[in-house]
Formats: sequence, C-alpha cells, structure tokens
Amino acid sequence: MTKDHMPGPDGLAPNLESLGARLKGKRGRTFWRSLEELSRTKEFTDFLAAEFPALATHQPKFARRTLLKAMGASLALAGLAGCDGKEDETALPYVNAPESVVPGKPKWYASAVTLNGYAQPILGKTYVGRPVKLEGNPDHPASTGTCDAFTQAALLGLYDPDRSQSPRYLDRPVSWSAFDDAIQAQIATLNGKQGEGFRLLTGTVTSPSLAGQIKMLVQRWPKARWHVFEPVSEDLRLEATRLVFGRPLDQQLGLDQAELVVSLDDDFLGAGPRQTMQAGLWAKRRRGLPQGEGGIRLFVAEPTPTITGAMAEERLAAPHGRIAALLLGIAAAFDIEAGSALDLTEGERSWVDRIGGLLKEKAGRALVTVGSHREPQLQALALLVNQRIGSFGRTLRFTEPIAVLPPDGAASFARLVGDMASGQISALLMIGVNPVYAGFADLNFAAHLEKVGLRIHAGLHDDETAQLSHWHLPMTHELESWSDARAVDGTATIIQPLVRRFYSVRSQHEILAGLLGGPRDGREIIQATWRQNWQTDFDAHWSDALYRGYVPGTAAAIVEPAIAGDMSGIPQANQSDQEPAGEVNLVLRPDPTIWDGRFSGNAWLQELPKPLTKITWGNVLTISPRLAAERQLKNGDEINLEVAGRTLTGAVWIVPGQEAKTIAVSFGHGRSACPLSAGLGCNAFALRDSDHPWYVPAVQISPTGQQQDIATTQLHQAMDGFDFVRLVDASALSDGDQAVKPRSSPNEERHTATFYPRHKWDDPSWGMTIDLDLCIGCNACVVACVAENNIPMVGKDLVAMGREMHWLRVDHYYEGPPDAPASYFQPVPCMHCEQAPCEMGCPVNAAVHSSDGLNLQVYNRCIGTRTCSSYCPYKVRRFNWFDYTGDDPETIKAMRNPDVTVRQRGVMEKCTYCVQRIGEARIAAEIDGRKLRDGDVVTACQQACPTRAIIFGNVMDPTTEVSRQKADVRNYTLLEEANTWPRTTYLARIETKPARDEGEG
Amino acid sequence: MAQAQTQTQSGHAAPTDRVTRIPLAFPKPVAWLICFGCALCLLLLFCISAAVLFWRGIGVWGNNIPVNWGLAISNYIWFLGIGHAGTLISAMLLLLEAHWRNSLNRFAEAMTLVAVICAGLYPILHLGRPWLFYWMAPYPNTMTIWPQFRSPLTWDFFAVLTYLTVSLLFWYIGIVPDLATTRDRAKKRGLQVFYGILALGWRGSARHWARWRQSYRLTAAIAVPLVVSVHSEISLLLAAGPMPGWTSTVFPPYFVLGAAFSGFAVVSMIAVVLRDVLGLKALVTERHLDLLGKFVLATGLMTAYGYCAEVFDALYSGDKQDLGTLMDRLTGRYAWSYWGAVLANFVPLQLLWLRWARRNPLCLFMVSAAVTVGMWFERYMLLVTTLYRDYLVSSWGNYHPSFWDWSLFAGMLGVFFVPFLLFVRFLPVISVFEIKEAKFEESEAQHA
Repeated sequence: MTKDHMPGPDGLAPNLESLGARLKGKRGRTFWRSLEELSRTKEFTDFLAAEFPALATHQPKFARRTLLKAMGASLALAGLAGCDGKEDETALPYVNAPESVVPGKPKWYASAVTLNGYAQPILGKTYVGRPVKLEGNPDHPASTGTCDAFTQAALLGLYDPDRSQSPRYLDRPVSWSAFDDAIQAQIATLNGKQGEGFRLLTGTVTSPSLAGQIKMLVQRWPKARWHVFEPVSEDLRLEATRLVFGRPLDQQLGLDQAELVVSLDDDFLGAGPRQTMQAGLWAKRRRGLPQGEGGIRLFVAEPTPTITGAMAEERLAAPHGRIAALLLGIAAAFDIEAGSALDLTEGERSWVDRIGGLLKEKAGRALVTVGSHREPQLQALALLVNQRIGSFGRTLRFTEPIAVLPPDGAASFARLVGDMASGQISALLMIGVNPVYAGFADLNFAAHLEKVGLRIHAGLHDDETAQLSHWHLPMTHELESWSDARAVDGTATIIQPLVRRFYSVRSQHEILAGLLGGPRDGREIIQATWRQNWQTDFDAHWSDALYRGYVPGTAAAIVEPAIAGDMSGIPQANQSDQEPAGEVNLVLRPDPTIWDGRFSGNAWLQELPKPLTKITWGNVLTISPRLAAERQLKNGDEINLEVAGRTLTGAVWIVPGQEAKTIAVSFGHGRSACPLSAGLGCNAFALRDSDHPWYVPAVQISPTGQQQDIATTQLHQAMDGFDFVRLVDASALSDGDQAVKPRSSPNEERHTATFYPRHKWDDPSWGMTIDLDLCIGCNACVVACVAENNIPMVGKDLVAMGREMHWLRVDHYYEGPPDAPASYFQPVPCMHCEQAPCEMGCPVNAAVHSSDGLNLQVYNRCIGTRTCSSYCPYKVRRFNWFDYTGDDPETIKAMRNPDVTVRQRGVMEKCTYCVQRIGEARIAAEIDGRKLRDGDVVTACQQACPTRAIIFGNVMDPTTEVSRQKADVRNYTLLEEANTWPRTTYLARIETKPARDEGEG
Repeated sequence: MAQAQTQTQSGHAAPTDRVTRIPLAFPKPVAWLICFGCALCLLLLFCISAAVLFWRGIGVWGNNIPVNWGLAISNYIWFLGIGHAGTLISAMLLLLEAHWRNSLNRFAEAMTLVAVICAGLYPILHLGRPWLFYWMAPYPNTMTIWPQFRSPLTWDFFAVLTYLTVSLLFWYIGIVPDLATTRDRAKKRGLQVFYGILALGWRGSARHWARWRQSYRLTAAIAVPLVVSVHSEISLLLAAGPMPGWTSTVFPPYFVLGAAFSGFAVVSMIAVVLRDVLGLKALVTERHLDLLGKFVLATGLMTAYGYCAEVFDALYSGDKQDLGTLMDRLTGRYAWSYWGAVLANFVPLQLLWLRWARRNPLCLFMVSAAVTVGMWFERYMLLVTTLYRDYLVSSWGNYHPSFWDWSLFAGMLGVFFVPFLLFVRFLPVISVFEIKEAKFEESEAQHA
C-alpha cells in the first residue's frame, strides 16, 4: 500500500494489516469460510472503499452514459454468472405483504421542500416507496394547495442522476467513517480552543432544529461563529424595517385586502419563496372584480419587465436610478420629509401625481411596495408612505423575522470573507451553499478560501465550492430526510422523508450532530427539538403534525411596531443609487426558473421557458429595442459588458418594455461544475458587488462579433392585431356591456355548420376554462404537467429546432409600442375540440374522441404520420422525434408516474386533460356508488396554479364551477374561426382603460 | 406498286430493327455504364440515409413543430406528379387514338412506374413508426380496427397503391408484344429464355391480339380517371386540413394540372435525351417534340391559372390568416420558393409559344428542366409556407432540412434512375408494334 492511496494524511483508512490483525486478535480457532464472509465486516468495506474507490458503491465521476454502458455490461455479466437456478437465500419473498402497502395504490405524505430556507409545503405522492409527484398542501395556510415551479421540480432534484453520492476527500471518493475519524481529531483540537477559528456557513435558516443545533454549537464553542450566505436574500428589507422600527421585521403583504398596489421595482408575483402565497392573495382579490367585489388595481414602475409588470394596469419603464425619484415624489404628496426631492420629468411627474391622488383616494386599502432588493432607505421611505396611507395592519403587516438572523445580519458573509482573508479561520463548514460560484465578485471568496486550513462542504452536488474544499459531504435531498422549516408566514412544517435515502448521504442535521454529539439519527434530532414544545402527549402532536404537513398555530404573530422616534437621517432616499447620465446600466435579477443557480442541474427547470422571453437552457442580456437600434444589436449577438475591470460575455436579447438604457441579466447560469448546464449562459455573479448587489452602473458594451444560439420556444411574441388574448373593459363589465360576447359552450347549440354529425355526450363530459385575468405566467402548471405526465426533456439543441415536448405551454404576447407594450399570458393545453381536425386527419384511428368529451391520443395505435399536428390550429401536439426515454438512467425511470404511459419513439403525444386522474376519480366514485362531484377531478396544471386561473370539470352539469365560468360574459374560444368547438375556453382579461376611469384634472 | 410495297415493308421493318436491337446490342454501353454507376451510388446513398432514418428516428431530419412535414411530403407530391404524364400520354391518348403517342408512351410509362415507386416510398419513410405502415390498409385484424376513412391519408394510401398497380399492369400489358419480338430476335439462349418468360408465350395469333386489345383498352380506361383522382386526392392531404393557405377549393385541379405539367416536362427531357443517345430520331421526331412542347405550355398555363386562383382566393376571402399566409409566400422567409416556382415554371415556358423553340431539342430540354425544378419549388412552397406560420403566432417556427433530408432526396434519385436505366438498357423503349400498326394504317389509307 503506497502513500498515494492513503485517503487522508492521518492514515484514516483501515488497511489489510488491520484486517489481518482482526483475524489474529480472535481467540481460538476462527473460521471464515470465504473472503465474502470476511468482507462482510465494516472494516473491509471501508477498506475497499478507500483502496479501490471504483469497486465501492461510491460512484466515480463517470459521464452518465459511460456509467450506464458499464452498468449494462456488468449486469449482463452478473446475469450469466447467476444462472445457477437457485434463489437468493437472503432475499425475502413477498408472502407476508407489509401492512398498508398496496401495490399500484399511491400513498401521500405531507412534508415540505425549501426555497431559500423557507418551507414550500407539499403533499408527496409515492408508489411503493417511489415519490412520483409533489403537490401543494391544501390545508397549509400559506399555500392553500398550490405551489410554484421550483416545488414541482424538486422531485427531479431528488432523482437527479448528477447528485453527489459519496463523500470525497481531495476530490476522491472516500467513506463516511474516514470523514468521521478526521472530524473527531478536529473536534478535539477545537474543544481545546473553545472553537476558535471554526466557522459555519449556511443559507437562510428557518428550521427550528437547525437553529437549535447552531445555538448548541455556539454555546459549546463560544469562539466559533455562524454566518449566512444567501445570494437572493431579504437582508435589505430587514434593514429597512430596522431603520424605521428599530428592529428587523418581516413584511407580510396583505394583497387580499388591497384595492390599489403601487409596486416600485417589486416583483411580488415573481419567482421566490413568497410567490405561491402572494400570488394566491393577489388572485383572491383580483377575482373579486368580475364578481363585483372590487378588484385590485396594480401600478408598476420597474427597469426590466417582470410578470408583476405584465399584470399591471399601468406599467412605467423607469430606470433603476429613477425609482427613488418616483418614490420621493409620492412621499412628497404625503408631506414626508425625506431629503430634497429629485427633479422629475414631465411623464414621471404626471405618473407620480396620479399615483399620489389614487393613494389618497384609496387610503387604508392601498399598498406601496418597493423591491426587497432595493436600497434600505428607499424601502424605509415606502414604509413611511404606507404608514401615512394607513396600510399597517391591513395591507401591510409585520411579524418577527421568520428566518433566524445571523449575528452580523446582512454583513454576515462579508465578515466571514474578511476573517478568511486575515487568516483567522482554521476550519470552515459550509452546508448547502455554493459561495465559490455565487459569492460577490469583489469579495473574491474563492481566493480567500484557500487560506482556510480545513474546508468542508456539504451539499447535494459536487459543485464549485466542493471542488475547492478538502472534504465534500453528500447531503440528503429534502424529500428523503427528516428536518423542519417554516413557511413565509411562519407556519412550521416537519419535513419527513418520502423515500428511504438513495445514497450514502447525511442530512444537514446529521452532519452537525457529528460535531455536537448527541443523537445522530435525523428523526431523533427533529423529535428532540419538538419535544421541547410538546411536553405532554408528544406522540399525538408529532403524528398530527406529520399528517397535516404543518404544525398548527405556528404562524408568526402579527406585531404592531411603533415607528422609532428618531427618524433623522434615516430615509436619505435621495442618496440612493443615482442614474449616471447617458450611461447604460445593468440590473441583476434572480432567474425565474433557475433562481440563483441551485437549480441549474434540473432539466425540468432548464427547459422551462422564462416567463417573458421564453428562453430555455441559458440566460441572456436583455436590452431595450431602442438600445438595440442604437448599438445595432440583434437577438443572439454576443457582447462584452465591462465594468471596473470585470467582464461578462453574453448574448443580447431584445425585450419590449425594457427601460431604454437598462440591461438586465439573471443569475444562475455560466456554471463550471454543473454537468447538465455546462456552457450555458453567462455568470452574472461575476459582476456582482457586495456594495450594490443588484445594480451595476455604467457598463461598457462591446460586441464581440460572435453569435450565440439561443433556444426559445416562442419566436414571435407580437400579437399582430389578432385577438388570441381578448380583453374586456372593466367598466363595460360592470355596465353589463357585452364587450365580449358569451361564446360556445357544449350545452348550447351555438355552433356553426359542420360536415360531421354531432356527438352525443355522456354526463360527465369534461371541459376547462383558463382565466387570463388571473394567469401570471409563472409556469407552475407547465412543470406540474411535466411531472404528472412523464414528459421528456429534449435539451437545448432540440428546443432550438422547435421540438420541445411540453404538453402545456404558456404563450406570451405583446401588444402596443415596443418601448411600453401591454403584456399577456395565455396557457395553451390541448383544446379538446369537439370537431377536432386532428381526428379527421389521422388515418389509423389513433386520434379519437371519447364519449366524455376527451380528444384522445392512442399511443400504441399511432404510426406517426404527424397529420394531426399539421392540422392542429393550436399546435399543441408534440412528436417523439427520437427515442427520448429509452436510455434514461434508472433513477429517472423510478421517478415516472406509473399511471401514465411512457411514449415510444415516433408517436404523437399531447395533453390528455390528465385522463389518468379522471379514471382514478371515476373508479373511486363507482366504488362509492355515487356520481362524480365537482372537484373530484383536478388536473395537474389546475392543482398547481397559484392563482387558480385554471378550472376543470363537467360541462354537462350547469352547476359546476367550469360551467359557471363558461357561462360568464368573458368566456371566449381561441381561434373561433377555425370552427373546432374547443372544450378549453378562456376568460378574457379585464382591462382598465386609463383614459376612461377618472377624468384626470 | 412493287416499289411502294418494298418501301412499306422496309418502313415496317425499320422501327422494329431500331428499337429491338437496343437491348441486344446497346449503342452506347460506356455512357450507360457511367450513368448506371452514378445511379447505383445514389441508390447506396438512399440505403444509408434510410438506414440512419430507421435507426435513429425522424429526428435526423429538420422537421419540427409546426413544420411537421418537410421534404419527404413535398417530394412525395412532386414525384407522384411527375408520374402523371406517363399515364396521361399512354392511356388517355390511346383512348383518343392519337397515334403520335406511340413513340413516347413506353418510356413515359416506365418513368411513371419508377416515379410512383419513389413517391410511394416517401410517405412510408416519413412515418414515425414506418414498420407499422400497413395499419393504413383495411386488413382483417384481431382488434377489428378499420382505417379512419375520413382521413385523406387513408385515401392517399389507396390511391397510390391503386395507381402503382394499374400503372404496372398497363405498362406490362403494353410491352408484351414487343418483348416477344425481342425474344424472336435474340440470338443467345439466355436472352431468349429471359425475354421468352417475360413475353408470356406471346405468338401474335389473332386471338392473342384480340384479347390483348381488350385488356389494354380496359386498363387504359381504368387508368385515365386515376390520373385525375390520385393527385386530387394528394391535394386533399393539404386541402382537408384547416390550415390557412391550404383550404382553397382550387387545390384538386391545381394539383392535377401541376402534376401533368411537371410530368410532361420530365417526359420531354427523357425524349430529348433518348432520341439522341439511342439514335431514335426517326421515331421520336421533331413533331413529337413539338406536340410535347404544346402540352407543357398548355398545362403550364393552366397551372399558372391555379396560382392566380390561389391569390385571388386569399384576397377575396379577406381572411386575416389567409392573407397572412399569402404575404408569407410572397415576402416571407421562404419567398424564394414562391418566386423560384413562378420564375422557373412560367418565365422560360413562354418560349414554347414559338414553333422553333418547341422543335429545338436543347431548348425544350432547358425549359422542361426549369419546369421540373420550378414544380419542386412549388410543392415545397405549398407545404412549408403554410406550416411554418399558421394560426397562432406563438407557435411559428422555421424549417431547415438537414443533411439527411437532402441525402435521402439525392438517394431517391438513385431509386428513380437505377430501374429506369435498366429499362432503357434491357427492354424495348418504344412501342414498336404500335408504331408499325399506325404506319400500316396510314399506308392503307393512302392506297385506298
């Protein structure tokens, strides 16, 4: 055994001598019948792992395909060797089936996954121990059953074949016992120094158990410190409340109470931990308008288009640096002393005056919100405005921070890097963070990391940070671990595993327990935390919390803080970011599908089109049409952005509605240690400064002359005067003006001529409505559809060729002038036409209609003429151009929904209205001997939709919700002229015409 | 009188000699071998392209959503169109007793046959699961599923299959007497047997001739309506869908005339080449070229009417989608295919108003070549310009045929030329007995 093979400097690995010694140490005659028996000892397996990593279960870093080939070959060989006609004596036949497991019947577990540390409550559907679908938890107060795209895609995160599967030391696979031995030595040293030099770095922590463990750690080692690094954090929002109230508080937007919302650069409907809750509350209010209950008017000023801006009644494209001026203007209307007001242009002045007037009019039912990424003094000023208009307690409520704040607050990470630079840190444990990739460019985390004596990284992936660390520890996915976390409203969820962990991995609690001592089992750690809360009757509380998926009564209490007396010098809003005249400025944003890069290994999210640009697999530098014309840039042109000696190279994409001099770029791309996303997009963190983390003023543009291929699913977004998305005037709705005529519904004989006989429909017969007034284009439905229906991902090249497989897409349209367009979303599933051209075109009866109104695609009858798709006016059919599923890794196969066929190469597929769910509900109803009730069948897209824009049900029964929607005056048919009589119809978007609503003085 | 008789006799013998000696002693073996070698290479390319296609799937082509159909279907329509001239010349003119057809019909029919085979291969190759193509046939099966009779594809399948069968029968029935002649003139035993088997024991008895005439005329009578029905049916592949730019009622006649147009152009090209290479100028005379030129011109002008009708249709409907597709054709990304079609189809065509141009083999060949290319553009244009931008602007996409699209097309030319060259080499390319018959009738008429 040479020194090279030693996994660690401390001689961690057991060796052959030690095994020999083990034998020798036995008294008397020791029989070992075979090497196998000997090898059953833990030492032997550990030795094996250390000495021959490739033989151990730990997976070396093969390319996935190579590994599969190797696996295939070795399995075949194993099969040959195993053909001796005997049963495996260690296997147990399925004679006494475990209780409560019925093969083919799913079991549901309530749990949660987290985003930025905040719990996203779920119900997880498992088949024989395999989680196959996540859904929102309907009982949870913060989600009410819906969820976002990230939560849907967490399932793939669990099965991700690129997940880290074994500990690594110096980038070589080792065993956990090697790590445990090494860390014990460290602990001994640290104990002697009261933990001096030890630092723990985590993401945002809301988990009571983790917080408890951190507390214990700091108690045990008083000189150790805990730091937090969260690339997309709410630090600045907490800072704002600290300015105003003297202590950090969380803000809860009471959107369901608001009749007027003024958003200054706040994408409160956009992706993030609060999306599900806030979009739900917003929709609750917005739904009121057509029902005559008063809606929610939304005014947005922002530099780059967001989905919040797309839903606004009026959107002002304002540069990053002008938001302050706008807010100061509004504040002036309420006589708030906030430093000298800034000059406003004429357009800004009239906007500010209008907003000021409306705010006064709607006082008590209005809300002014400033993005959580904006300067704290701006956010603080907005709080003062909100106080004046009486928002507190109604449209804006405060709670104590849900997250546990690190001792240094927002400066936590910078402090850590400072200490690293000065060489004070001897050991750094990083759990679930990737600061080497996502750290601020000016802090240069990677360079200072080298100065840390012992670097330990724990995470799901062998990422950039792992590669610069001595130790990398693979962590459990949340769906396979015990943990706890709090949702954005504070409600705690006990996270329970949906499946036994796949690999030799440990949870964050178990890793910390390794330092702390005490119980090492994840479940015991969590139970210990909650035992403190439930002194009596622990078991009942525990199982109740697990059944429900949350702990009742843990929502954060609303506090009514007083504004700190001393406000002098606080709202220096005019000191905030100023617009350098004539320069082009860059704003940085989290990615709507990849977030801060943590999802860049998730194919579902990579292939998910960004809500506005419809770009997949990468990011772009979005520019305004005017800037494009000025610099003669076109989509896909590669440019260099230079500022302060740092450069970012990316492709340009022209976005209507972008502020003229603003470039926007999203985080999360350009990763070096993510096999799936290698070479995709550019790393916006490279230009991120810790001083102003969301804004880079005065960037220099220089085209490189190259072109990048950008894969987008929608090449043309201008509506070109068509009426795909119809609008109805809000005032017309209340006047009863038939601006949008009621459109076809199968209950009424409204259809125009047809050549073919009319169907006789069964009861129930299915239909869907999609309310375009509520759809925020968030994509949750798209990922839900992917997860439910085993939809394959095809990769960037094929998306660029127009071969994406999504059964449900969200079309995005612009209308109006390119610098200030209106923006609309339109989800397009199969229309399930009653007179379907596809059925007429298919020569082999593969596209047929069912008596309950479904347009069915019989995969095993399909021969792939593609006539159905050629004839489809909506182009919702998707074709298997290649065999997309045949060589999927085994883990991906295990993830598939067993109720949905995996399609073969060469067949057409499309939205089925989740026919498997219809079948399931029908069977359940038949067993109960009852008719199907409204709400028995919930399609995957409907289930996920945070704004409940999608309604599905029986159209033969006029009392169902879908029938009521179809009878609505806003109901219309997409492409009515095609005479296809779709079962999917749309409710027109409600438009408030600014000129009409109040005669502005 | 005696002199006249000898003249007539030599007049009767000469065509037999000229034509039947071709298979037995081919005039230009080297040129043929070079051509055949090239065609074999293309055939090999076809085999490779088809193998890649079957192995990996339709994805190797450039097709996508929305352009589900690409080169495969446009080539299918194009090849089938070319085939139409053979049947038209042979069957229709036979029934109309236009004797001049006799110099052209045999190779025109052979061309039809190979063109239909090429055309028929395409829809099968383009299937997602080509091994199940027979599901389009109404055969008894355990699941008692019939084809879906509303689908134009079902009828396409029937139409092409029928057309192939009838074309084959018609061509074979027509060639039997000449095969017998070749058999009688063959000197080697092997050739005698080969042609003897193909000649089905033809002895030229009066009864044989009577039966032959019956069956030939009957098959012709079946074939003529097929010319109209097959390409009308193909047009429904597009016209039956609700897509803008396809829903015009002019489509069936437009397609049939376009098919005849391209077919006559290809026949003209073949006639020009064969008469020159095989020394058949006395049989395929300038008068024949003249007549072919007239046909090309006439069907071309009718096709041009189809273009006008299509534009009118869109303008008259005022439908936004139809107008959009019209604009896409005239000015869009694939406008080159529209203007390519217009230029190649109709501009050189105007030369054929001139008598000298129709009688000049080179000129006729060039015009016909332009038409062949132009009609290819047209098929491509009709398919792609409608599909790449249909109803919803959100699903608009572009289409770029891939290498394997083009290689299959080139390979398909091999599928066309290999059997055709074999026909030219080994079978009587011109219907000798019919020419003799016509000549005899003419001389009888003179004597009378």
